Amino acid sequence: MSGQWNTFVVVVCAWLFAASAVTAAEQTLPELPRPIEAPNFELVDLDGGLHKLTDYRGKVVVLNFWATWCPPCRYEMPSMQRGWEAARADGIVFLGVNVGEDADSVFIFLADYSVEFPLLLDKDATVIKQYQVVGLPTTFIIDPQGRITHRVVGSREWDDAALLRELRGLLPKP
Amino acid sequence: MVLAELAAAQTTISTQTAISTGVDADAGLPFWEIRESGMSLRLVQRLPDQTRAFFLARGFARADVDLIAQGCVFQTIFKNTSQTDKPSVLEYNLRDWKVQVADAVRGLKTREDWAAQWAARGVPQPAKIAFEWALLPTRQVYNPGDYNWGMSVFDLPPDSHFDLEVIWQQYGSRHTAVLKNIHCAPDVSVEAELP
Repeated sequence: MSGQWNTFVVVVCAWLFAASAVTAAEQTLPELPRPIEAPNFELVDLDGGLHKLTDYRGKVVVLNFWATWCPPCRYEMPSMQRGWEAARADGIVFLGVNVGEDADSVFIFLADYSVEFPLLLDKDATVIKQYQVVGLPTTFIIDPQGRITHRVVGSREWDDAALLRELRGLLPKP
Repeated sequence: MVLAELAAAQTTISTQTAISTGVDADAGLPFWEIRESGMSLRLVQRLPDQTRAFFLARGFARADVDLIAQGCVFQTIFKNTSQTDKPSVLEYNLRDWKVQVADAVRGLKTREDWAAQWAARGVPQPAKIAFEWALLPTRQVYNPGDYNWGMSVFDLPPDSHFDLEVIWQQYGSRHTAVLKNIHCAPDVSVEAELP
């Protein structure tokens, strides 16, 4: 019995260690070999307001492609909101681009998730193709010069201190 | 559920490639999993009715939904976990993977195969977009920490069993692992009886 208990404790400890290591280490922000020009776009938000990527020149843009039915997209949305709250005053912009759904679907989603940064509609999936995305969620980091510097596939904890530090590092030096 | 998963994992922990099966804690349905240094892949069974509900809500006609739902669908979670040890890019192409049923071997049905079928059947654009993005990408490059969830459709009848050879590139070499005796969920759809 004691041997079985010891084995159980060892296995649980190993599992907890592995789980915490993965959680801590998953906040990677993979950098492109070299920055590339971000395709410009014009998309409307849920209130009909027009957003052009060029409107955000001079800021760091976190451009997230997502859908309401995508589990990792739903998982990371609260941390995106917290990340936006923590970094918006510094000149970091979060834009969520919903792929293939209508405004009503997003409004239903917002009944369960509090999101205050702009959510744009790419109903015919034109913009996501321009960005050559192949899986959701995918998030691009765009520097103040309008160049894609990082590509992230899958969810992250966007309010992670180290990740936010890396984003702030892309801002123009005062 | 967690204890069952731990027990399953424990039996394979000594080998370099850990293959396990059990019950997914979130879905409450069977899973088949590969864990190797730098990667993990889990296939979680989906019930045909779950798939019907998902695609009916996204603009598919009933006949088209049945084509998918009765085609042996799994939720697939593919991760590059190399950030915890030796970071390395991971690449895969579903066209390299092999499905074996009895003595017959064939490939997977990919997004591109389905797209041609939906075009021929006149499926509406919003439904086609939802389908494309719901499936696991045909090809993908994962940097350390990257991952996707996506459905895989094996184009087999409900309640079938099959083996899946999974192939990926990482650490400068080609890796292969085989998941044995994967079970497609049976179709237990029950029509409502009128009083």
